[in-house]
Amino acid sequence: MAYRVAVDIGGTFTDFCVFDETTNTLETHKVLSTPGKPGSEIILGLEELSKRKGVNPQKISWFSHGTTVGINTVIQRQGAKLALFVTAGFEDVLELARLKVPDPYNIFSQRPQPLVPRERVYGIEERILLDGSVEKKVNIQSVKSAIKAAKAAGADTIVVALLHCYANSTNEQQVKQAIKQVDDDVEVTLSSDVWPVIREYERTVTATVAGYIQRRVANYLSAFQDALKQAGVPALPLIGKSNGGVMTAELGKTEPISMLLSGTAAGVMGAASIAQHSGRAEVISFDVGGTSADVAIIMDGAAAYGSGEMVGDFPIYVPTVSVTSIGEGGGSIAWVDDFGVLKVGPESAGSTPGPACFNNGGEKPTITDAFVVSGLLVSDRLGYGAVNLDLKKARASIRSLGDKLNLRDEEVAESIIKVAVSGMFLETSKLFSHRGVDPRRFSMVAFGGAGPMLACHLAKDLGLAEIIIPPTPGVLSAFGGLVADIRNDFIRTVMVDVNNKGLKSILMSVKTLEEEAASWLRDEQGFKGKSELLWSCDMRYRGQSFEIETIVKQSWLYDSSSEQIKAAFHEAHHQVYDHSDDHAEVQIVNLRLVIVGTVPKPSLPMTKERKSLATPSKNVKVHVDGNHHEAAVFDRQKLCPGDHFYGPAIVLQDDTTTIVLPKFTAYVDGAKNLILTANGIQDASR
Amino acid sequence: MPVDKVTLEILKNHTRAAAESMAYTLYRTAHSTFVKETEDFTTGLTTPEGETFATPTELGATWFVGLNYGRAIEMIDEYRPGDICMTNDPYSGFVCTHPPDTHIWKPVFYHDEIVAFSVGHIHNTDVGGAVPASLSRSLTEVHQEGIRIPPTKIMSEGEINQEILEIFMRNVRAPEQNWGDLKAQIAACNTGERKVHEMIKRFGIETFRQGVGDLLDYAENQARAIIRDLPDGKYDFADYIDEDAVDGWPCRIKLSLEINEDNLILDFTGSDPQLESSMNMPTGGDPRHALVLVGVIYVLYSLDPRLYLNSGIARACRCILPSGTMVNPVFPAAVGMRTLSCNRLHGLTFGAFAQAVPDRLMGAPASGGPIMNVNTTDIKSGRRIMAAINPMTGGSGGSASRDGNDGSGANQGFLKNTPVEVNEVEAGIKVHRYGLVTDSAGPGKHRGGLGTEMIFESLAPNTKITARNRDRTEFSGWGIAGGKAGGASSFLRNPNQKNEINLGNTDIVTVDPGDLIYVSCGGAGGWGDPFTREPSAVLKDVKCGWVTPQHAQKAYGVIIKNDMIDKPATELFRKKNKSKTSAVKDNTFYSVCTAQLEFEKIWTEKNYDALTEGLCTLPVSWRFFAKHQIFSTIDKMASDDPARIDGTAVKQALSELIEKFPDLKATEDA
Repeated sequence: MAYRVAVDIGGTFTDFCVFDETTNTLETHKVLSTPGKPGSEIILGLEELSKRKGVNPQKISWFSHGTTVGINTVIQRQGAKLALFVTAGFEDVLELARLKVPDPYNIFSQRPQPLVPRERVYGIEERILLDGSVEKKVNIQSVKSAIKAAKAAGADTIVVALLHCYANSTNEQQVKQAIKQVDDDVEVTLSSDVWPVIREYERTVTATVAGYIQRRVANYLSAFQDALKQAGVPALPLIGKSNGGVMTAELGKTEPISMLLSGTAAGVMGAASIAQHSGRAEVISFDVGGTSADVAIIMDGAAAYGSGEMVGDFPIYVPTVSVTSIGEGGGSIAWVDDFGVLKVGPESAGSTPGPACFNNGGEKPTITDAFVVSGLLVSDRLGYGAVNLDLKKARASIRSLGDKLNLRDEEVAESIIKVAVSGMFLETSKLFSHRGVDPRRFSMVAFGGAGPMLACHLAKDLGLAEIIIPPTPGVLSAFGGLVADIRNDFIRTVMVDVNNKGLKSILMSVKTLEEEAASWLRDEQGFKGKSELLWSCDMRYRGQSFEIETIVKQSWLYDSSSEQIKAAFHEAHHQVYDHSDDHAEVQIVNLRLVIVGTVPKPSLPMTKERKSLATPSKNVKVHVDGNHHEAAVFDRQKLCPGDHFYGPAIVLQDDTTTIVLPKFTAYVDGAKNLILTANGIQDASR
Repeated sequence: MPVDKVTLEILKNHTRAAAESMAYTLYRTAHSTFVKETEDFTTGLTTPEGETFATPTELGATWFVGLNYGRAIEMIDEYRPGDICMTNDPYSGFVCTHPPDTHIWKPVFYHDEIVAFSVGHIHNTDVGGAVPASLSRSLTEVHQEGIRIPPTKIMSEGEINQEILEIFMRNVRAPEQNWGDLKAQIAACNTGERKVHEMIKRFGIETFRQGVGDLLDYAENQARAIIRDLPDGKYDFADYIDEDAVDGWPCRIKLSLEINEDNLILDFTGSDPQLESSMNMPTGGDPRHALVLVGVIYVLYSLDPRLYLNSGIARACRCILPSGTMVNPVFPAAVGMRTLSCNRLHGLTFGAFAQAVPDRLMGAPASGGPIMNVNTTDIKSGRRIMAAINPMTGGSGGSASRDGNDGSGANQGFLKNTPVEVNEVEAGIKVHRYGLVTDSAGPGKHRGGLGTEMIFESLAPNTKITARNRDRTEFSGWGIAGGKAGGASSFLRNPNQKNEINLGNTDIVTVDPGDLIYVSCGGAGGWGDPFTREPSAVLKDVKCGWVTPQHAQKAYGVIIKNDMIDKPATELFRKKNKSKTSAVKDNTFYSVCTAQLEFEKIWTEKNYDALTEGLCTLPVSWRFFAKHQIFSTIDKMASDDPARIDGTAVKQALSELIEKFPDLKATEDA
């Protein structure tokens, strides 16, 4: 038997999650990340795991990991020096984007600078029409002069994004050939390779991000492969994808765009797995770190996918687990405005200097400091003993606001928590309204360093049904990588009416997509296990400018079953918008296919629950709801399935602290999840 | 006693959550593509008196912050739980500002008492009337602009008023869309009602009631603090719409802004008489009408984006809106195209404030680009196509700290374009170019943002192109503090060909297959002397294709050869010359385009003063006619006649007019 290992490399910590197939147990570990020497944190972590927990690297049969190297390349603007070739006449495509500015109420609001400055965008004489026909062949002379100018300007990577190339990539291919003939060393990224879908800005910006990160990600992945080899790990190195799946690291070198948001996606997939395992159909994931809180809605075990998710300043349009990021985390700084009103964020102390209580140079009061002053965050075991909390520093930082607010320290602390939570309430309320779902039916899976600390507060305001704290809340993103499938997305813009004629005309595309998908899984991933094809269509009523992704059966496509396809769309439309129009004409804009290579999941044992009242290891004084209370402190590792206890209570474990507010009941289920419920929670919101 | 400053912030977040949830509900359940694409809707919560205390900022129109529902609320005699009221009449209560907007409001009861109203509006694609979509510059009476529902209960105690609904739906062109959108509005108001009840449960009725009042005070105090930071004084400014009606004379909006400690007075005396076209802004003379304060809210929020947006801001302002003028027309003046005038009014407001704080504001925002629609026939299917294509936009003005945003921004930053590929697939046209307009930016130390342009080809006969809100073909956007005016907008059929036709400010044209249409938005105004602009910044613009080398020399005094700056030549040229792109009026803060300069040589302040004074003695219905008569008289006068510019000829023409029409004389004597 062997070990399955998943690693999540974050800005500060690298998390390890290990499943021992012999004992069916889960181990976790954290080491500091080494952004300067990528790969060395993996070697260090594996060494420590081997020493402390006896994990033999040679027995690792699955190794997946998520990384922020791609996203950091974009945020820190350290990627390739790009040139962009577009259809002549449309050189301003990135400058104009979709016109809308980030804050339309502010007349100074500006769109961010594109990754390719306008002076390195070159027009190519060519034209494909909307049906894919070539109206004008590529004028090779215009390519040659563009290459010359691009090279003179120092470009090392050329992105090509021509009009309607989703319908016919011939011209893009020809441009690539022409470039390679002139200079074989320059990297070329084609928009028709990255994501061949209608809408030129969306396709172009996605292709530029892909071209921008390509070299750095490839270098990083090579270092990662070497590190595993060096450590003697025989498993095929896998990397996490933004769609929640994984792929081989080797492929990641050519398809880096699909792994940009793997970290947040893996967290959501981890939460989805926990939810499914415990039979919860409607779940919101709540992942709070030092600078932000990420929330996502999970229905029936499946995360929602979005396109246009932001990577730094730029939206990318490849399938990505949809996550709403709220700019509030444990390090968010509290302040008082000119009118005496208490505010929290958006400024954050981040990981350096961090909250005042970390005693690392930070002096401004943060959410974490507020928890320390309230007595809710006790220093025993935070961050695997890597962090000691300095109550004095926390108090001093809080006091600076107390004078302005005319409140005592504990009151200030509680106020900071409440204001912070109300900000999160605002953003999550929007998400629920956006989806048109009722929060009172939802369970929250809380994780990340600060999620379990804030969960009760937010759940109470939202009127959620319950909170689930997974056994390893601090490393859930890594856990998500452990339960991931091999997964890839394919798309074709087809733009047809849903009728017999229209559906017949896309049969070829259906077959091509299926072949592409099969070959990706079989040849490029070398996957031989069970696989699954998930078909869907981006559909709309004629005249609408937006589409709804509608799940369809493969047989409907092969049989051109227009009635079934229409019915599925009407139903999907009704679900999203509360209405549908059975008489309106329906169009398919894009055909989508997801291929999933199903990987056997670690099966965590369900232990029989034996009801008993848990005994606290000690009691501490805390300040909540305007009063001092005695709170019971529990050690998470010592809690057994069936144990229950009542708030106020604090649960300690290596990677996070769970706070159970007064009037909440906690119990441990058979999978060792901590389930928090409040009597009257539901009444409060009704 | 006010609620504490911690609870206030928490309540603020909860009220915003309520307003945002309402907006999401409306956006999600609305039927019409128009609403989904343009987000031309609002939601909000008001006090029982109608002051808006919560507004969404994520979704919806940016133009109605702090709209006061008070006057419409008062027009309903009695409210019961479950009632929902509606109006789209711009002349009942002045909440609605043109007939396509249906405003609804629902009382929220706590026990037997109204504690709030849940409100919102939606722009309907069509409400009937003379033309499809109900909007055209050529309309002259509100009766032509669609059916109007005065403030009425569309729902009584939860029951829909079928009779009213049927009358409404019988009079519109796409009733199922209006009904679908109305249902979405009702769903949004119900969400708002539920959220208010949740807040009352969480905070207690007393805290809620006191808290929403405090939130209004909070926004007011914030606004006043921003105003207090501005130098006291009176700042006069006027700007123009090219035409006051189809083929008309220039239309002037005048603002005299007074900053007095923490108060603002906006006096619009001197603005044109109400128009016999549909560009009037119905405000009912409300000194705090949201429609005229949009520019102020943009300015205050931009000066400090921490400003909380609600009706409280309006309390620091007072507007003087003379009756019978385009900023306060009397019934039955048409109002459908008030969007065009509102756009100009925003820029006018920015300009007046810029005089007070030139280093903290910007040159004229770009405008004049239209909202474009194509009505054509699909070649393959023979189906008739009606599609919205791009809104043509331009950038924000240059400012002390940087260049304006290119292509969009300022008061039009909320608009989205349609991808070229989608336009070709959906609208039955072929696009030859879509991009930024070379040399359109108003030159400056920091230049204005560039305008956008599009060239497209019609593929079928009888293709109708509508270009709503076309303007600024003549008078382009001004620069400030030494910065120059931006380029004008343009609308051409078959550009650069023998059969080129300049369509000017036309807003509808029918074209044939093979015809090319060129349409562009003007550029934004610059800030600071262009001859002090960093030559490297000019070089960058040249490399980007946004400035030609010729323009670089003429406007910026920078000599560029083969993508290199000729330093000595530049220094020499800059020493010897001055920027020559747009004329500058001596000793004025603004620099305007040549066309405007020429116009203002004749239509001087004195002439306008005489005109304003004279017209207000006439009955409202005569003023527009009289203005046209006087303009045409002045136009025909010899250019060297001093009476032409000092107001005497204006007075003379007016008295001749009164003499000519006995009826007028009678009113005069009375």
